[in-house]
Amino acid sequence: MRSGSSGSPTGDEAVACDDVPVKTPRCDRCSGPAVFHDKKTGRHLCREHFIADIEKRVADTIRSKNLIIPGDHVVIALSGGKDSTALLMILARLLPSWDSVRLSAVTIDEGIAGYREDTIRSADRLVMQYGLDHASISFTELFGGTLDAFLKGREPEACSVCGILRRKALNVAADRAGATKLATGHNLDDEAQSVFMNVLRGDLPRLVRDSGSDSKGRFIPRIKPLMFISEKEIAVYLMLHGAWADLPECPYAVHALRGEVRGMLASLESKYPGTMLHLMESKTRIEAQCAGRLEEEPVRHCRECGDSCSGEICQLCTLKKTLSQ
Amino acid sequence: MKIILPDKSCRDAGPGPVTVETLVRDLGFDPVGVIVARNGTLVTEDAVVENTDEVRIIRIAHGG
Repeated sequence: MRSGSSGSPTGDEAVACDDVPVKTPRCDRCSGPAVFHDKKTGRHLCREHFIADIEKRVADTIRSKNLIIPGDHVVIALSGGKDSTALLMILARLLPSWDSVRLSAVTIDEGIAGYREDTIRSADRLVMQYGLDHASISFTELFGGTLDAFLKGREPEACSVCGILRRKALNVAADRAGATKLATGHNLDDEAQSVFMNVLRGDLPRLVRDSGSDSKGRFIPRIKPLMFISEKEIAVYLMLHGAWADLPECPYAVHALRGEVRGMLASLESKYPGTMLHLMESKTRIEAQCAGRLEEEPVRHCRECGDSCSGEICQLCTLKKTLSQ
Repeated sequence: MKIILPDKSCRDAGPGPVTVETLVRDLGFDPVGVIVARNGTLVTEDAVVENTDEVRIIRIAHGG
C-alpha cells in the first residue's frame, strides 16, 4: 500500500467539553491538526512542525556527535526499507546546505526470496528520484550463493550469519564507492534493543563500542543519524511525504532474540513512555564511566584473508568454513 | 465505523466515539506498533473516532 496521506485538515471540529477527549488534538506550536503525539513529553505536532522537528533532531545528532564533516562522502546503506528510505530523504534535504559533503547509496542483495525484490525496486526508484549515484552488490557475487541457500537447515542462526556477511558486503560496497562514512538507518528502537540485548548477554565491551568513532582506520566509520528517532516517528515521516510503502518483513526475523526483545520493549514503551530513550541514556552514562578503563583488544589480522579482527581467524572466514560443510 | 485492518480486511463496528488508542488496543494491537488514519488523514492516539468514520490501521513493519 502506498499512502498519499498528507495529514492535512479534514474539517473536523474539536469537541470542546471539559471531560470529553478532543476529536482532533491541536499542534502545540500552531494549533493546526496534530498528526503526532509524543507521549513522553505530552507534545502534539502538526504535519509541518513534525517534519521540521524530525529533521532538526537528525541535524542535531549529526552535529553533536560530529558524524559528518566537510569533505565527507557519505554512502547510505540503502535497503529500500522504511528506515534507510527516511535516512536518504532526510540527508538529501540536510546535506546540500553543508560544506562539500557528497551523498550516494549502496544496496546489498542478500538473496532472500519474496522479501528483498520489493525493497530493491523501492531503492532503485528512490535514488532515481533524488539523482544519486547508486551501486549494488549481491551475496552471490561476493560469497558464491544466496542467504536462502546458506541458511537451509540453520534458520535459527539467520541473523548472525546474515550480519557477518552483510557487514563484509557493506564494507566492500562502501570501499568501492569511495565512502568516508557509511550511514545506516538504525533507529531508536533498534539501538535500544541492542543496548538491552548486550545487557542480557553481559557483553560490556560491545555495549560501549562505538562503530562510528573507534575504527582507527581499520574500516569505514559507520554513522547512525536516526539513532534518536523512533520507528513510529519514521513511519509517520514517510506517510506524511507520501513515501510509505507497505513492504514485507524479513522472513528470518522470527528466529531472532531481537524479535523477543522488540516485543518486550514495545510493550514497556507503551506503558512507560520514554523507556527506549532512557536505555540510550543509560548506555551513554555507562560509556562515560568506562571511558579509558576497558582494556582494548589488540588489533590483529585474519591469517586467512588479512582483514582486521580480534582473533586469529575473522568471523567471516570462520563462517565460510561452516557454510561449505 | 468502517475499520480497515493491516491485512486489508474490513470490519464494520460501532464502538464510537472512542479514542484511537482504545480502539487500537481493543483490536489487539500495541499502539507503539501501528499508525492510524481517520478518513485518510493521520491522527494521534488521543484523537477520537466516531461511528461515521473510516479508520485504517497500518502496522509498522520492522527492519529496513
